[in-house]
Amino acid sequence: MGDDEIHFVMIRSTEMICSFVDGGGFVLNEQLQGLMLRLIPGATDVAIEELVPIPGGFSRETFRFDARVKVAGVDEVFPCILRKDPPKAAALLDTSRQVEHELIEAVRLNTTIPVTRSWGAEMDASVFGEPAMVLQRSHGSGQTSELFNGGVDEHQADDVMRHLCESMVALHTTDISKLNPGGALSDPRNVGIDISSWDSYIDSTIAYYLGAYHELDFDPITMVLLDMFLTLRRSKPRPLQLSLVHGDFNPANFLYHEGKVTALIDWENSHIGDPREDLGWMTTMDILSNSHVMDHPRDKGGFLNYYNELTGWNITPEELDYFTLFGTGNIAVPVFSAIKRRINKEHMQFLHLYIIQPALSSIPNVIRLLNYPGVSL
Amino acid sequence: MNTNPKIDDLLEGLIVAIADDILPNVTNAKAYATAMMMQSLIQGIRQRLPVFEAGVVEEHNQMTQVLRDMAAALSGVATPEADRIRERAATLGQLPDLPLKPEWQPIEDAHLQLGHALEESFTDLDVLQRAGNAQAEVALTIMRTHLGPRYIREVQSFVLGGGMIGRG
Repeated sequence: MGDDEIHFVMIRSTEMICSFVDGGGFVLNEQLQGLMLRLIPGATDVAIEELVPIPGGFSRETFRFDARVKVAGVDEVFPCILRKDPPKAAALLDTSRQVEHELIEAVRLNTTIPVTRSWGAEMDASVFGEPAMVLQRSHGSGQTSELFNGGVDEHQADDVMRHLCESMVALHTTDISKLNPGGALSDPRNVGIDISSWDSYIDSTIAYYLGAYHELDFDPITMVLLDMFLTLRRSKPRPLQLSLVHGDFNPANFLYHEGKVTALIDWENSHIGDPREDLGWMTTMDILSNSHVMDHPRDKGGFLNYYNELTGWNITPEELDYFTLFGTGNIAVPVFSAIKRRINKEHMQFLHLYIIQPALSSIPNVIRLLNYPGVSL
Repeated sequence: MNTNPKIDDLLEGLIVAIADDILPNVTNAKAYATAMMMQSLIQGIRQRLPVFEAGVVEEHNQMTQVLRDMAAALSGVATPEADRIRERAATLGQLPDLPLKPEWQPIEDAHLQLGHALEESFTDLDVLQRAGNAQAEVALTIMRTHLGPRYIREVQSFVLGGGMIGRG
C-alpha cells in the first residue's frame, strides 16, 4: 500500500462514521424482523429490541437481540443470537450456516446434550450481506475462566466438567446417522475426506493437510506444520469408531449455571471424525487458555479418566497426544491459510494479522509433542 | 524469526484497522482525533524504520569527523573555547567509525532461501524414514534441535497472553 493510499485510508474515516450511524443498525433490525416472522411458527408481529454486536469467537460476526413476537395474539420475548458470516475472503472457516442449523437441531432433538435451539438460517446473502443464522440465547455464564485459577465459580468446576464430559460422551456415542442424516458433515469442507473406514478417514484427512500446505505457508516458519502432518502420517494410532465430532471443543465454547453445562456452543466446525480429536483440541486450548478442563472432575482422576470410564475406550495419553496434533492440524489449516490470504492482501481484515499471535502460541505445544529436543513448557 | 509478514506489513495493518474498525465507531471528537494521530505516528514509524539504524551509524561517523575537522580548522587559536573543541576532538572525535549497517534485503532473501531449504528437507527425510532409513531419524533430530529454540524465541518475542484477545 503506497503513501497515497494510506492517506486515503486515514481521511475516509469521516465518511464511514456517517454511513454507520445513518444506516447499518436500522437495516439489520428490519431484516431481522422479516426473518423472525418467517422462522417463528405462528408469529404475526415481530419487534427487534436491544440489538447489539457482541465480542467472542474469531470466525463469525455475532449480535444479541430480543425478538418481541406476537403468537396467537400473545406477546412473547425470545432472547436470540444472530451469527453472521464475514465476507468470504475474510472467513477463517468456510462453513455453512444451514448445515450448522440442521446439526444443532439434530443434536437438540436426538440427544441429551445441552444446546440452544437454532431458529434457522438465512442463506440468501442479499438479506444480511452474508449468510446468517439465528439461535436462541441460552441462559448461563460464558465466563468459563471463572471456573479456574481462583475464579468465583471455581467451586462448580468439578460438577460442570463432569457434565461436560458426559455431554461429550453422549455426542461421541450417538449413532452418526441420527446427527448426519444428509451426509453434510462427512466432508464439510469438501476436500475429499473419506469416512468409509477409520483408516480412510485418517489417511484422507492427512492427505488434505499435506495438500493444503502450500495454501498456508506464509513463511518458512510454518514448516513445523509440515513436520507435524508428515509425522502424523508415519505414526497412526489404533483405530476407534468414528463419531460426530464437535470440532472446536474448547474452554470458551460452553455455558454453565449452578454446576451444569447449559449449552455447548459454536458447532460450525463439526464433522464426522475420530472422537479423540475433541479431547486433543481441548487439551491444546486448555494450555493456551490457562484453563484446567482436563484436570476435572478431580474425584474421577480428570476428564480423560472419566471419559474412559464412561466409554470403556481406554484412550491412552499417547493417543491423546496424537490427536492433539491431529486436531491442531484441523484448525491450523484454515487459520494459517487465512493468515496467508491476508499477507497476500487478498483482503485487509485486521483480525487475520492479529491471529498470527494465537497461531504462533500453539507451536510450543506442537514441538513438545513432536519431541523437539530441549523443548519443555 | 519469520520475515513474512514484514514489520511494515503489521504497521500498515494497524493504520487500516484504525480506519476500518475503530474510527467508524468513535463518536467522541477527542478520541477520534487521537486515533487519527495514532495513524499518523504509525505512518511516521513506517517511514523511519527502514532508515533509522543506518542513519544513526552514518551520523555517528560523520560527527566524529566533524569534531576532528573543527579542531583542525581552529589550529593556532589559543582560547579556552578552542581548547574545549580540541579536547572534544581528542576524545569523542577519536571514536572509531562504526561499520555501516549491511543492506537488509539480501540478508532477508538469504534467510528466506535457507528456510525453504530446511522446509523441503522435511519432505525428503519423510520419504527416507518411510523407507526404513534409520539415519533419516538422526538428520530429522538435527533439524528439530535447531528449530526448537527458534520457535520458542519466535513466540516469546511476538506473542502476548497466548493471543486470546477476542476469543470469548
